[in-house]
Amino acid sequence: MEDYKFLFKVVLVGNAGVGKTCLVRRFTQGLFPPGQGATIGVDFMIKTVEIENEKVKLQIWDTAGQERFRSITHSYYRSAHALILVYDISCQPTFDCLPDWLKEIEEYASSKVLRVLVGNKIDRDDREIPTHVGEDFAQRHNMYYLETSAKESDNVENLFVKIATELMEQAKSKELPRYDEINSQNINRRTTSIDVTCCGN
Amino acid sequence: MESSQIADFNFSNQLKFNIQDLTSQEDSGESSDEFSPENEFLTEEHRKLYSQLTQKENEVENELEKLLSRHCHLETKIRGITKVLPNLEIIHSDAKQLYEMISFASTLAENVSHKVRKLDIARSRVSECQQRVHDLLDLQLCCDGVQTSMNSGDFEKAAAHIHRYLAMDQNLLEKTADDVHQDSKSVNNSISLLKEAAVKLQEILTSKFNDAVAKQDSNSVERFFKLFPLLGMHDYGIEKFSDYLVDKVETSSRKHMKTASETSLTDKRAAVLYSDLLTHLFEDIARTIETHQPLVETYYGPGRLLKLVCRLQDECDRASQAVLSEMWRSRGLEKLTSSIKSGTHKSRGDPKEFDQLLGELATAHSRYSLYLHFLRRKISMDTEEEKQPTVLAALEEKLKSCVLCRTMEELLSAYLILEHHYMEESVRKAIAMDTIESGSQCSSMIDDVFFIVKKSIRRASSTGSIDGVCAVINNACGVLENEMCTKLNATLKQGYPTGYLDLAQAYSMIHARLQPSDTEQAKSLFIAHLNNTEIGSEYVTTLASGLAQEVQCPTQTDRSKLEGCLSGLSSVCAAMGMAQDLGLQQLANAAIKPRLAPWIDSFLALSHNLTEEEFSSYEANEPFVRSLIANIDGIVSEFRSSLTSGNFESLVTFLADEVNSQMERVIMKMEFNRLGGLALEREVRALTGYLNSTTSMSIRERLARLGQVAKLLNMEKINEISDIWTRFNWRLAPGEVKKVLKLRVDFPKEEIMKLKL
Repeated sequence: MEDYKFLFKVVLVGNAGVGKTCLVRRFTQGLFPPGQGATIGVDFMIKTVEIENEKVKLQIWDTAGQERFRSITHSYYRSAHALILVYDISCQPTFDCLPDWLKEIEEYASSKVLRVLVGNKIDRDDREIPTHVGEDFAQRHNMYYLETSAKESDNVENLFVKIATELMEQAKSKELPRYDEINSQNINRRTTSIDVTCCGN
Repeated sequence: MESSQIADFNFSNQLKFNIQDLTSQEDSGESSDEFSPENEFLTEEHRKLYSQLTQKENEVENELEKLLSRHCHLETKIRGITKVLPNLEIIHSDAKQLYEMISFASTLAENVSHKVRKLDIARSRVSECQQRVHDLLDLQLCCDGVQTSMNSGDFEKAAAHIHRYLAMDQNLLEKTADDVHQDSKSVNNSISLLKEAAVKLQEILTSKFNDAVAKQDSNSVERFFKLFPLLGMHDYGIEKFSDYLVDKVETSSRKHMKTASETSLTDKRAAVLYSDLLTHLFEDIARTIETHQPLVETYYGPGRLLKLVCRLQDECDRASQAVLSEMWRSRGLEKLTSSIKSGTHKSRGDPKEFDQLLGELATAHSRYSLYLHFLRRKISMDTEEEKQPTVLAALEEKLKSCVLCRTMEELLSAYLILEHHYMEESVRKAIAMDTIESGSQCSSMIDDVFFIVKKSIRRASSTGSIDGVCAVINNACGVLENEMCTKLNATLKQGYPTGYLDLAQAYSMIHARLQPSDTEQAKSLFIAHLNNTEIGSEYVTTLASGLAQEVQCPTQTDRSKLEGCLSGLSSVCAAMGMAQDLGLQQLANAAIKPRLAPWIDSFLALSHNLTEEEFSSYEANEPFVRSLIANIDGIVSEFRSSLTSGNFESLVTFLADEVNSQMERVIMKMEFNRLGGLALEREVRALTGYLNSTTSMSIRERLARLGQVAKLLNMEKINEISDIWTRFNWRLAPGEVKKVLKLRVDFPKEEIMKLKL
């Protein structure tokens, strides 16, 4: 059995071209692939981080931003523990779409899902959305807010570590609707072949 | 000999020097003495110096002796060396001879290789010369041949001649022409003639090829297609040929479209009309590639297929677009998906209405996946290994940007929306139509729901898209949890209707005009749904492991995606498990706890402070335990066949726990003497034995506490406790033990208080 104590599903959403894949690549592989093509469907990455001496495994689902993949990406909302909603700080339309994204999250995701708003591409000079505007939006919708640059590796690690820490605290206080410690013990007890969601408890 | 003597000499010299050294030091010491006016009164300092000198002298003497002792050893060595010396001279002369021989051989070899090198150069020049002569001869030959064969219409021969000419090194040829002074005119003449012929032949071939295409004469098309590469017109040839093939595909697809548009709605293929059309199209293209690939590879060499495929893909885009947009329109996909998305879709009653459409969409996508797979395989087979990554990347680039790809992604999206809707509606319907068949432990919904879910996932898996399967698995998790688990939970939450009415229940029953048969129905519904939870968990597990094996994953990423989504099914198991726990708790609360209490309370009426006589009559009649076991057996046999084995075992475990704690409760209210204790232990043993026999698992552990209480009360003397206290793993705390012991009327309280446990 793999050595980790918590497993969380993190799903990235947001308009096409805001840099979701780059954020994930930067975090999981330390790369910034220039000329990254549009994601088809969903991409899947795993990274284990250590927080307060506990191993936390993050299952990261990087979704395609284009409209025609929506019915695929919607199916991942329900079981997500954290949703990262990404926009491009140098592109006003990606910010304007945020309410639509929130509507989708309301509709498909669990009400207790951890929501994080991320303004990406802060390495660019042609900023269109000032930090405080993003911050305001996040505050109004009860979300965490971070600005990142996948290119310069700014705040990327921080973003995922923060999410892992927060989810771990939630799990420890048993507030998670699914996959928390109690349930996974149930799983361990009842089934043998299904992949256990967390172990070592 | 000489060297050893020298060494010897050196050695003795050194000795001498050493000695001289010492003496000179002594001299200087003496000379300093002379300066002193009182010679005899040597100062302390002088004495010290003197003793130092003596010590040094001794040391030197020792050393000398040591060195001299080695003399003998050295001498034998010298003798040995003397013996070997003559041999050395022989070796020396031999070596000298060898050296001469080798140096002779090397000069010889050098000479030879020099000559060989010269020869080689000469040979290559000769062959070059030969080549030139050949070229010249061929040039002449080609020149003559080209004209005659062109005149006679033998284009193969003509092209072969031109090919031969093109294969010659043009620069070299001109140089040759310069070199051959006397004949330069004729050579130059031939060259220009051939050049002209090449151009002319190109023209002829092009027009002939076009004619052949126009006449649909496939033999001639292939004939001329084979000739283009001989004239160095590879790209042109492939291009022209692709155009020709595209035309053929187009004609065929138009024909298919026409027949399709004439197909009546009642035709048995009408439901899969568009997937059939796409299948025809993909098959046409695949067949075209399959049959012409050897031709291209043989005459054009490897690596040329990509160009052909790309041209055909353009046509595929056009034709598939026609089919798909027609499909989109005639099947009303736009309206369907948007009405489902907005939640306004009015189902015409039966979710099965989607079955055909879903089948068609899945088939269409599966054909598309197969087609892509075919293209990738063909292209990678056509390319040399080292070029494969770049060529395949070029193909992927082409495919990614092509219209077909995008449309198919849209199609998959529509399919997923419909599939989700279908699954949700069907599962709802299955739950609504839930019935309990006699002889079955669970209700119909469990098989129906899993049949639907499996069907949907299998259908998604047939599309060949991992993202598609994963999405349907995710949706299935949602549907199972939201629809089925919620329903089961709701039933179980209501509790198990016992039929043993208390006042409030009776009151509500009169008001609701419930018939006893309603209670029976509610009972069997509760039991069936409780069983559903256990069987459901099993089904989910089997489903997950089955899918992990069944679904094809072309890459490692796809595999981990699938596994990530399958692990989501474990949350369904968890939800089922929670419903099951709730149900068991409810069942126990309704069917066990309230019934068990009065049965066990009857124990209070039976004194366990017994005389011999009372004891034997008690033993004979077993007034308590016999009826208790009979009563419990009533419960057990009530559920033995109706509950699934897991649930039944959980229930018996609960029963045992309850017996354990309630028995303890009543025992603590009684008093016992020795015989009463004996009777109790026998009763407890009978009870344990009975409960243990009800299931295959061991229940003894659950009754361990009760057993220990009985054991305590059955002690002959109080000091036996010290004996058995160390022997068991006690479930009772020392305080509790004392409390139990106090129930024995014959045990003095003070002694119990004094016990050290």
